[in-house]
Amino acid sequence: MEYRWALEVQDLWFSYNGTADVLRGVNLRVEKGLLTMLLGRSGSGKTTLLKVVKGLLKPQKGALTVLGVPFAGERKSASREVAYIPQNLGLVRNLTALENTLTGALGRSGPFLSLLKVFSKETVEEARECLALLGLEGKHQEKAYNLSGGERQRVAIARALMQRPRLILADEFVSQLDPVMGFEIMEMVREIARKGVSLLITTHEMGIAARYGDRAVVMKEGMVVYEGTPYEVGEEGMLELLR
Amino acid sequence: MTKRQLVTRLVYLLVAGAAVVSLAGMGLLDPVEIARAVARLGSFVGDLFPPNPTVLPTLARAMGETVQIAFVGTLLGFLFSFPLAFLAAQNLFGITVTGPVRFLLGIVRTIPSLLWAVVFVVAFGLGPAAGALGVAFYTVGYLGKLYYEAFEGVDPEVVEAVKSVGGTRLQLLVYAVLPESANALVSQFLFMFEYNIRSSTIMGFVGAGGIGFYMLGYLQLLQYRNLLTALLLTLAVVMAVDYASGKLRALVLPAVPRRTRS
Repeated sequence: MEYRWALEVQDLWFSYNGTADVLRGVNLRVEKGLLTMLLGRSGSGKTTLLKVVKGLLKPQKGALTVLGVPFAGERKSASREVAYIPQNLGLVRNLTALENTLTGALGRSGPFLSLLKVFSKETVEEARECLALLGLEGKHQEKAYNLSGGERQRVAIARALMQRPRLILADEFVSQLDPVMGFEIMEMVREIARKGVSLLITTHEMGIAARYGDRAVVMKEGMVVYEGTPYEVGEEGMLELLR
Repeated sequence: MTKRQLVTRLVYLLVAGAAVVSLAGMGLLDPVEIARAVARLGSFVGDLFPPNPTVLPTLARAMGETVQIAFVGTLLGFLFSFPLAFLAAQNLFGITVTGPVRFLLGIVRTIPSLLWAVVFVVAFGLGPAAGALGVAFYTVGYLGKLYYEAFEGVDPEVVEAVKSVGGTRLQLLVYAVLPESANALVSQFLFMFEYNIRSSTIMGFVGAGGIGFYMLGYLQLLQYRNLLTALLLTLAVVMAVDYASGKLRALVLPAVPRRTRS
């Protein structure tokens, strides 16, 4: 399906308890094939927005079009091509790097064979390639709890790539890594965007947003207060918007 | 004195009063009665010694049956508790599924294994089968609860991550919930086996097999030396099982560090 916007959000409202709105009429567009940085202070609604887009939370009101497919209708098939990396990555500690990567293929694997942890040769090879692409050749059989923070981050990206996504949503992606590792990971992410995958990454680090973002969206108190390029406003401008 | 302090003191007074009335009602505040009880207890302890080793072969066979009751009961209980726990976990199913399953587990858990054994003695007749089924039913209620709590304790982000790739509930179980809670599952299974060894020793009281049958008999026939032999054998087996399951636990469960960032 042809589409211009990887994600279109119109007047989106969400509340966890039915009274305090976390998202208050969010309007947002994520351009296909670009790396969009979603900035905002803690509690501004960034994580909630990603979860609503991924379909993990149901909004009370608003329209959502993901990869050209409206919220109602073919939501599930579109959702499979939307990868989500949670803030703490959501890796299974007792599974190896390869097994964690293979979970990314669950949505397109046979429901019965995958329960026995049987995947096709091609799928396993694809998982190995994803890990190799991210510099984890020798770590296939390493349990997730034995990996460093940077390595776990890369396994989470590999798992996302196994979904063959057209849109990746990543929450506070590099905020818990040291700056050098953070930049390394962002370089890898930029490479992925160059291959035509759209990315929406939340962060509260303006340096990362300014350096890597093709687009920047700033959220404040559940609303989008800026949508444009990072260099249009600059780091100082973004800081002002966040205040 | 504030109203709150007054209420607190009144509650203390009420609790103390209730305790005194209860103790007096049971005769536990009567010094003459206490002295008589201590004397009788001394005489009973004197009659226990020395233990009688000649009954050991008979008791060893009965003890073997007790261990079998515990083993089969725990295994059957595990097999049935597992799918029920899966259906009772609120991070996997909605309240319409979890509610009835939890209610069922609650009912099963409320009835002690000895009562279940009585029910199965009626159904299957005297013998270890009734004991094993009694233990199994109680295990279902108990392990079912421990397991669904372990499933629910899995990091929500791990569950979300697998859900978000389009995994089914069974895939969620295999790829997120089981690997993340495996240590707790094994540990609780071993704990339940240890517990069931202890509870199986009294299954014989209701004719459901094992060493309890002999214990009750010795008690009723006032053969206290034999009773002590049975108790010491039970103690030795319970300690051996505790030790063995501790070793097994260390062997099976890897030392997985807590989630850390680096």
